[in-house]
Amino acid sequence: MDTLLNVAHGFGVALLPINLLYCFIGVFIGTLVGVLPGIGPISAMSLLLPVTLSGTPESGIIMMAGIYYGSMYGGSTTSILVNIPGEAASVVTCIDGHQMAKQGRAGPALGISAFGSFIAGTFSLVALMLVAPRLANIAIAFGPAEYFSLMVLGLIVLTFLTQGSMPKALLMACIGVVLGLIGLDSITAQPRLTFGRMELIDGIGLVPVVMGLFGVAEVLLNTEQAIKRDIINARITQLLPNKADWQASAGPVARGTLLGFLLGILPGGGAVVASFASYALEKRLSKTPERFGHGAIEGVAGPESANNAAAGGAFIPLMTLGIPPNVVMALLLGAFVIHGLQPGPLLITQNPGLFWGIVASMYIGNVMLLILNLPLIGMWVQLLKLPYNILFPLIILFTILGVYCSSNNVFDVYVMIAFGIIGYFMRKLGFEPAPLVLAFVLGPMMENNLRKSLILSQGDLWTFVQRPISAACLALALMLLIAPLLPALRKKRELVALDEGA
Amino acid sequence: MNDQTSVKLRLNNSELWGGLIGLALGGFVIWQGVKLKLGTINDPGSGYVLFYTGILMCVFAVSIVISAIAEGGPTLASRWDNVSWSKPLLVIVCLTAFSFALEPLGFLLSSIPLMLLLLRLIDPVRWTLAVPIAALVPLGMWWVLKRLLLIQLPSGLFGIG
Repeated sequence: MDTLLNVAHGFGVALLPINLLYCFIGVFIGTLVGVLPGIGPISAMSLLLPVTLSGTPESGIIMMAGIYYGSMYGGSTTSILVNIPGEAASVVTCIDGHQMAKQGRAGPALGISAFGSFIAGTFSLVALMLVAPRLANIAIAFGPAEYFSLMVLGLIVLTFLTQGSMPKALLMACIGVVLGLIGLDSITAQPRLTFGRMELIDGIGLVPVVMGLFGVAEVLLNTEQAIKRDIINARITQLLPNKADWQASAGPVARGTLLGFLLGILPGGGAVVASFASYALEKRLSKTPERFGHGAIEGVAGPESANNAAAGGAFIPLMTLGIPPNVVMALLLGAFVIHGLQPGPLLITQNPGLFWGIVASMYIGNVMLLILNLPLIGMWVQLLKLPYNILFPLIILFTILGVYCSSNNVFDVYVMIAFGIIGYFMRKLGFEPAPLVLAFVLGPMMENNLRKSLILSQGDLWTFVQRPISAACLALALMLLIAPLLPALRKKRELVALDEGA
Repeated sequence: MNDQTSVKLRLNNSELWGGLIGLALGGFVIWQGVKLKLGTINDPGSGYVLFYTGILMCVFAVSIVISAIAEGGPTLASRWDNVSWSKPLLVIVCLTAFSFALEPLGFLLSSIPLMLLLLRLIDPVRWTLAVPIAALVPLGMWWVLKRLLLIQLPSGLFGIG
């Protein structure tokens, strides 16, 4: 009953005209960046982070959340019609989605992807509503040791799932921690790694780092070669899947939804892992696995449901524990912090309007996305024809303005350009930026919790293994660290390795 | 020494250089940690986490170096095989020049040439389209930010913007 009252309260907040407008802007921009290859939700959210300052916390965060789950919808359009994933979570959709489009079945592919996404998105919201308040109650009992170990686990999971060698990903995570520690020490107020520059006393901002590593570096990488587009030009008719399509897709949608939601909750996991895992699961369960790769609708329905369910699930660790499970959620954490809010176990009780408002807005956003994605498909196809030689300079200008407006400080523009150049060379040398960014956000929190637990336990390191939750997290992290050394597990890791930045 | 061995031990190995840069950074972080004071395990100082993170960085960097020596790796040049390296380089030069020009020239005088250069360099847009976009987009953004959102953009020594 309480939940229903809270949901009603949430709808009261989400249905305010200004919040509806921000929700629409969010899902529209999300679909847009999902459709356009070359810019993903991370770049778009970092670009719009300063905009959240202009409104209430609810409006800003509703818009940011809309960009995230909107991009999950939009990404499938590009994958199916152009065979280029609009964002990383839609990589798998290219395999069967584009084949279906080539066979003249682009409509059902787009349709099942939108309906699957809608069903999964709605399920994950219901689960979020039911799980989050209970988990928040448990999380109140978490001490610094549990928080530290959970963050270590999150980082290790992300490095485990990052493309390329694990030592490289771990090195990136360490660099992220170091960058996060720049500025005044929160306990002793001693300046660290500031090199006498006043601009560094408050540390490096998240916005310039993310915009540099994901926005500018992405543009630099994309300028290297002309992006080839194999757009399906045939007229798209009959978006509604037929009875046979629904029968074939019902199981994959249900399994993808459940799997995606569970993987979304895990720290370090997220939409990309979920879509890959769902595809692998469907192929394994299929009686005719040879159809996969040649236009099997199950290969579209499962992954598309999984990535949307994961996008919803990823809100749970952020809202209940205050720990962002992936880079996108780290940006959302940035939006909370900008407004002086701290997500965590007390958020739901102290700011019920905010929490339930965001949840309710996601219901509304999912309906908006269904409307945006089906009837407006022609418009998105036209958009795919936008020339990149005009788009890329505009992205660079917007990133410069976005960074400057977030702090009114030219120094941040320099930081962004520097990180853009560093990010480009990092990617060329096979160093992925995702672990760096997550560690950059988690670094100060990890340090704080580590030092607090050591002070509280009077230097007893056993405190991390004597507490069951902390011990379980560390044991899992250790297993993941050892796993790549075993040949069989190394092969599995390479199969699910992902490129978060795409 | 056969061909394969010489390939493995070559210095022009991007993995090796990546590891060495990581090692140098790790060493620097350790040094900074020590400089900031480690404190004790009962009461960790400001350099405590930096110091141990630096050690971890060195461990991971050494592991990258060892694997680069043992298994070899792509050359630096091969990372840019089949792609046009000149375009990102030109964009980097433009962005670096822009970062030097932004404060003295202000937003408008630095961003209009930047846009024009990017539009002409990445994949040349015809002049008749490039010039209006390069001029109107920064002007439009400047107007929206300054007049509507009341955000002061850098106006430079000439006070333009």
